[in-house]
Amino acid sequence: MTAKDIFRTKFDVASIVLIPACIGINYIGKLFASALKLPLWLDSIGTCLGACLGGPIIGGICGAANNLIYGLTTGDSITLIYALTSLFIGFFVGIMARAGFMKSFPRSIITALVAGAVAIVISTPLNIVFWGGQTGNVWGDAVFAASQAASLPLWLSSLFDEIIVDVPDKIITLILTFLILKALPDKLTSLYDASDEVERLD
Amino acid sequence: MKSISLYKDNGTWLCRVHPFTKLMYIAAVILIPLFLHTLWAYAVAIALDVAILISGKSLKRARALIIFSFTIIATIFLIKGLFDGDNITPLFSLGSIVFYKEGLLKALRTGCVIINMLLSFSILVLTTKPEDIADEMERHGFSPRLSYVISSVFSIIPQMMGTMDTITDAQRSRGMETEGKLSVRMKAFIPLITPVVTSSLINTRERAIALEVRGFGAKGKRSYLRTWKKHKGDKAITILLIIATFLAFIWKIITWLI
Repeated sequence: MTAKDIFRTKFDVASIVLIPACIGINYIGKLFASALKLPLWLDSIGTCLGACLGGPIIGGICGAANNLIYGLTTGDSITLIYALTSLFIGFFVGIMARAGFMKSFPRSIITALVAGAVAIVISTPLNIVFWGGQTGNVWGDAVFAASQAASLPLWLSSLFDEIIVDVPDKIITLILTFLILKALPDKLTSLYDASDEVERLD
Repeated sequence: MKSISLYKDNGTWLCRVHPFTKLMYIAAVILIPLFLHTLWAYAVAIALDVAILISGKSLKRARALIIFSFTIIATIFLIKGLFDGDNITPLFSLGSIVFYKEGLLKALRTGCVIINMLLSFSILVLTTKPEDIADEMERHGFSPRLSYVISSVFSIIPQMMGTMDTITDAQRSRGMETEGKLSVRMKAFIPLITPVVTSSLINTRERAIALEVRGFGAKGKRSYLRTWKKHKGDKAITILLIIATFLAFIWKIITWLI
């Protein structure tokens, strides 16, 4: 598979319709996680699904649009800053999926680790700039407080905070994405298959 | 169906201000204190936000949006005040716990940034219909696909929440546990979310076909169902805000050079 195949994106109606559906799925994931009182966010299932179906570009658009729309309309303006994180998660999960890393369960774990690493690399500086290094998650912030008390540098404490929160979150998200993708009918997934050739009869 | 948007038309002037003017206000009120980098600039910005919210009769609803951040801000004060790396001067102590001036000042600044941001965004969020933002963006040259994505999210989510309730009820009636230990709740997540997600993805196929049939991908000029009544103040306020932000930016560069 060449680089061109990985980034090939169809901007047809099916792909455009996929974006709001994925944004809705993100919202539902977050809603279920808080209804079941899980200590995870699980708010990027839709972004990952969009990335696996539509490729890296659609994944990136799903991620960025997700945070921008919620930030500008539901009053959760803190999510706006993390539009950048979501964008890159969607983008990299899309690349991994196109490169075949969502085809089996062990491979999807690798994708999850990549997504976790992307989230950490992009969110940590944002956390430091806007929140003084914290994530707002109880477990992560406990680690942050402990490592600050041990007078570790700010960026390292913030990094630990992110790792504790984001890596488990992304692993569970990608496992769910994998299970859902397996359950989708072929007539749906073939809509988004970018490698298909259109054969003309005339 | 319950909308996820917090917009409510309470008939005040704030609801009739153009969405772009509100967006420019948010940009200005966040950027100017950032450039000036003093605490009083944040105080002025927060006072301005509150004044606008009061005159738009929306302060009460804005309070609900702010209150959740107080716990985070409290932990920021706690962690920075106690453990920050630059802490030198002790300010006060509670028993054997000593709070330091440097960390608390940093926490105060972070707290101000957060409150200012939440307040200024709540001005937009509480008094602007999401569809209006989408419509106006399309009218000012953004792709109609983008405005479809925005307005579609608001019709899809209530629909999905309906499905979510149906599925939760169905799974509970089959005897699935949704409360209890963490492992039980974790296990409940998959049978709850998979049907909702799968059905909403399958629905996209039909929606795509329906949209295509109705000429979604068609080229050419489009007409609008709603029209926006132009307000005289919008342009003047936007220009003023741009000038103010620009001046603050110049100030930042001057102080940086000296």
